[in-house]
Amino acid sequence: MISRRKSLQTLASGIGAAFGSALFPEISRAASASSGGPKRVIFFMQNQGFEPATCIPAGMVNSGSLAKAVLPEPIAALEPFKEKLHIISGLHGIHTSPSHSAFFGALGGYRGSDGVAPSGPTIDYELSKVLPETLLPHLCIGMDSMENMKAKPTVANLSARGAGSPIFMHSNPNHLYQMLYGGISSGEIRSHHEACSGMLDRIEQMASAEGKALPVADRERYGEFVQGFNDMNDLRERLNGASDHLRKFAPEVDDRYNNPEFETDWHDTLLDLGVSALKSGITSVLTIGSGRGEIFGSWKGLGVTEQGHNLGHMVQENNPIWIKIRQYNSRMLVKLMEELESVPEGSGTMMDNTLIVYTSNNADKQHTNGANWPVMLLGNCNGAFKTGCFTQLDGTRPINALYASILKTAGVEVDRFNMSEQMAAKYDSGSGPLKEILV
Amino acid sequence: MSRMTLPLALAAVVLLGATSRAEETYTPGAPVRGDFENFAQGFLDKHCLECHDDVSTKGDLNLLDLGPVDETNAALWKSLWAQVALQEMPPKKQEQPDVIERLRFSDWIVSELQRVMEDKGGFTAHLDPNKGNFIDHDLLFGPLPDGIKLVPTSSPTRIWRVTPQEHITRLNELINIEPAFDPEKPGLRTRGDVVPTNHGGELKLYFGTDRILRWEGGTVAYATAVKSIPVVLSSARKTGFENYPDFYTVNSAEATQILDLAENILRYMAYGPLSIVGMPEQITDDPKTYDKVKPPGDLRGLPTAIVYSTKVARELTPVYELMKEGSEFTDQGLRDAVNYLFEALTFRPPSTKESDDYVILVKDSVAKVGKEDGVFMGLSAIFLDRDALFRPELAETGKADEHGRIMLQDWELGLAVNHALRYLKPDEALHQAITEGRMRTPEDVEREVTRMLADDSIRKPRILRFFRDYFDYDLGGYICKDNAALGKTGAPAGTAHYSAMFDATASTDRLIELILEEDKDVLKQLLTTQQVVATPRDSTYFGRRLTKEESEAAMAAKKKADQAATQQEQAELETGKSKLAALEAQAKAAPEDKQIKKALDQQKKAVEAMKNKIKAAARTRRDNANVNVAGAKLTGPAIYARVSRRSFGAGSMKPERILATAPEGQRLGILTHPSWLVSQSDAMDNHAIHRGIWIRTRLLGGGIPDVPITVNAQLPDEPQNSLRERMRVTREKYCWTCHEKMDPLGLPFEMYNHAGLFRTTELDEPVDASGEIIDSGDPELDGPVGNALEMIQKLSESERVEQVFVRHAFRFWMGRNETLNDAPVLQAAHKAYRDNGGSMNALITSLVTSDAFLYRREEDKK
Repeated sequence: MISRRKSLQTLASGIGAAFGSALFPEISRAASASSGGPKRVIFFMQNQGFEPATCIPAGMVNSGSLAKAVLPEPIAALEPFKEKLHIISGLHGIHTSPSHSAFFGALGGYRGSDGVAPSGPTIDYELSKVLPETLLPHLCIGMDSMENMKAKPTVANLSARGAGSPIFMHSNPNHLYQMLYGGISSGEIRSHHEACSGMLDRIEQMASAEGKALPVADRERYGEFVQGFNDMNDLRERLNGASDHLRKFAPEVDDRYNNPEFETDWHDTLLDLGVSALKSGITSVLTIGSGRGEIFGSWKGLGVTEQGHNLGHMVQENNPIWIKIRQYNSRMLVKLMEELESVPEGSGTMMDNTLIVYTSNNADKQHTNGANWPVMLLGNCNGAFKTGCFTQLDGTRPINALYASILKTAGVEVDRFNMSEQMAAKYDSGSGPLKEILV
Repeated sequence: MSRMTLPLALAAVVLLGATSRAEETYTPGAPVRGDFENFAQGFLDKHCLECHDDVSTKGDLNLLDLGPVDETNAALWKSLWAQVALQEMPPKKQEQPDVIERLRFSDWIVSELQRVMEDKGGFTAHLDPNKGNFIDHDLLFGPLPDGIKLVPTSSPTRIWRVTPQEHITRLNELINIEPAFDPEKPGLRTRGDVVPTNHGGELKLYFGTDRILRWEGGTVAYATAVKSIPVVLSSARKTGFENYPDFYTVNSAEATQILDLAENILRYMAYGPLSIVGMPEQITDDPKTYDKVKPPGDLRGLPTAIVYSTKVARELTPVYELMKEGSEFTDQGLRDAVNYLFEALTFRPPSTKESDDYVILVKDSVAKVGKEDGVFMGLSAIFLDRDALFRPELAETGKADEHGRIMLQDWELGLAVNHALRYLKPDEALHQAITEGRMRTPEDVEREVTRMLADDSIRKPRILRFFRDYFDYDLGGYICKDNAALGKTGAPAGTAHYSAMFDATASTDRLIELILEEDKDVLKQLLTTQQVVATPRDSTYFGRRLTKEESEAAMAAKKKADQAATQQEQAELETGKSKLAALEAQAKAAPEDKQIKKALDQQKKAVEAMKNKIKAAARTRRDNANVNVAGAKLTGPAIYARVSRRSFGAGSMKPERILATAPEGQRLGILTHPSWLVSQSDAMDNHAIHRGIWIRTRLLGGGIPDVPITVNAQLPDEPQNSLRERMRVTREKYCWTCHEKMDPLGLPFEMYNHAGLFRTTELDEPVDASGEIIDSGDPELDGPVGNALEMIQKLSESERVEQVFVRHAFRFWMGRNETLNDAPVLQAAHKAYRDNGGSMNALITSLVTSDAFLYRREEDKK
């Protein structure tokens, strides 16, 4: 029979890791109250590229402190959080084929493209396996046009638990709410939740009965299948049992859920749900795909009438449309930080133990070779990461090195992430973590 | 413990014990009695410690203190097992254990590893197809020494998880209609063929593509706008046989996704495109009516960009009837839907109890959340039925014979036979045979298999799957190439290369099918055919990489030709401009002259057109210029490959191909085709080691021990040196013991570069494609070879190679490795193949009517 931890990891990779058995959030947090390194990580992937000029303070060419710098207009909302911020320019992702999006390759550090299945696990999933245990170690949310979010409420473009094993993003906040908070809700959501629980119970019973006649050698393998249902049901019970705790964090279901005016209403509610999952301790890794890793997307709620592919053809610097989108992202980042700062953890707050990685699945622009892949890190994780600064790298280290660095702070000693020595000989001038970002 | 301290008396007892056991009858599969002290120690003393003790620690290996199998020394014992089973040890010059002694020692190690590792992750290496060759080939096909007693064979009772391809095909059947078989165009993809991967090599389920009339935007916009769901079941193996029954389960993440997927499918079954459109007006036979109401702005990449036909493409199902507007929710309607779905997903009708269970489940859901959500939620459960995800071969009915074996029968046998060839549910004839009790004997199986093999309209994707798994030619599109390194090969760079590789896989598929149609000397034909199935781009891939001098000459010639063309174009443009200037002057002088004005307008347009033409010509010259390759002249009749148009709109893979002949003296069979060569390459270069392993294991039947964990398996990064030179590290003594069995088999393929183009030079020096076959087991084969063509020709004429091919076919269709007890089955299969002129059909028929396919026994799974 699979171990409890293994089952958790498997679940994490599910459709937003729907259900699972796990420790209580408080217990998991208490157990992991050690210094240094993240207890949770958020990946925020805006599509269509992240032009360096939209985040590097004017005139700043060399690495240095941000203390006296003024952040550019698109990310000005982060000004009060400068001491938590590290702007990095000069990583590369040439090997990921990022033009039009590297898809899974953006978080995997390998070649990706439209229609190409993941060739390995992505960093967010790998982290979800090693960070302190939570009920749903990995949650992915995807923001897109309203039509796409309704017609395809789950898609998989960015995260993967291994080769050929994509992880789905949630885009319909109603579905996600039901998954996370069905047990503490009332009315229609509640009855749907209970019906689903009943069905899963029955499936488990039937599957279990069918397993009894199996040969000994197959029982364990089949047992894992049955255990999956057991885990789903088990978690539902645990979530129900933790309802008092969860109730404190569950967002209120308002009109934006059922009658959104713009797609951004759903983007906001998805973020609310992501925040609540972090604050309640349900999840330790949140992946946000703004534009869902593709080359389309829509932000009509910001007054941006253009949508889709053409947004990526525009230069982003000084472009009012992209200033609006990036400002919107920045407000979301601020919200994430403020919300996490509001929850005490250890001797500080949740934010003290959180790392936010903001970048794009398209490197610096839509039609790019990936020679520069700008990234913003937010949070120093009790002093593990250098912050309050800008770093200009020389373009010889890949995004894989950033991911290896984060893994190191999470306690995993690796020289490389998803990169063979042969590839590294070509694409990485160094080995091990990026000394420029770690303390 | 020192060797000298071993009590002599004990040693004597051990040796006596070993000797006496060697004289006993050996029955493959029977438990080996004895523990380390009274069994294994004797073998080690006699055959190993001479070289691996305190005094002589050859290979830095001291076995003196090895001791019984335990968790800490399990890896070492595993290595010992490989060395002994593969007859690598003791070295040839040393005294050899007799056959039975070796077999028994090998069995003992496996059984001990299983026992010790049972609660520590288990030990299953011996069940892995890559270890299938650990059974001595000569024992399987030659005479058995005295003392070995075989028992009638069977396979273990088991459940097989369906493959991702099978799963997608079942789901696809619920929502899409596929083209019917067209005997006039036999190569076109048709119902029953696999659901192909898309343009990027991803396996997805697409919704509504059989009703799409129009979309907006280009290919990427189409791919994004169409509803699609990636495959849910995982498959971790990239090479070789991907689907033994014990490889996979369905984990909870997959189960969760299946539930969600199920609801999407059920809604589509009930409501068709209405369940996926943004606006109902998108469903119209006149797209213009939608244009009047469609949302403003750029719709590319959005679901609202698509117009669907109103015509129902596929047969309406009981799910539709149950949910159609105004329909009454009746028990019968519900039961019909349950039964329909159950059979569509499990390939057999439900029992009364199964049907009852699901009806109750749906009713419960309906009671809680109403008809709409309750029906979809309840029916989703059927998608997670055990038999929708696993195919059972449990032999629960039937009587055991005197050997304790039970023959599969009825549905289990029918579905096993069906699965041997197909991904769709049993056709009417097979269904009838099962329900009428005519699937109970080997003759029944032969009748059905013969019928299906003879009918080309019954598609048999499993046979093609075997060849994909066996040859591993379908990986080229997934090998990530370094752009600079790829550029040097002469092949197109970037996405075009990956598309070409997916096309190449489809082309090789089709070539194999054509050889299977002939069904004569199938393996030999595959290894030596001069035919190629080609796309226009294959002129490059089957071409020859020019030498440096030739490229320079081609470049100079091109430059000259370009200059001449440019000069002529410029001269024409200047003439046009002069005419224009003259007309402008005339128009200025006579502004009212309509004729002059008209002529001026025409000339303006003509000059503009000329400029555009010049630009286009320059582009064409740039795009079509490949000064690095002498393109192959591929001509021949038009044929088709089984690719899908559905995944990528206008940019989908094109089925049109030609059946051509490869350039003389440059290619020989599919091992020299780019699809195979690139599949056995890496980002920067050829992979001579993988190619060598492939020849060693898949054609010669040899085994390669696992790479020792102490080995850092890296070649030096020296771009100035050839691969052969960089592989000098494998020729160091410690490595060469194994590498001498693979490298010289892979290096003959150095006559091609890593995009599969033929070459005569490497790094501007004449290419060295020499190699050698050693220790093949067939002295006729051993010896040096000048290049891949020479080696392949030799191998293709070997009976041993044919037998190894049969061993692999056995593994694929039985879903397990062969044992000595399978020797009669293998020999019969090989005989059937030979007696029928190298017939794959005869081989398959022999295998699926064998005891190994028909009989099950629980205790076989050890």
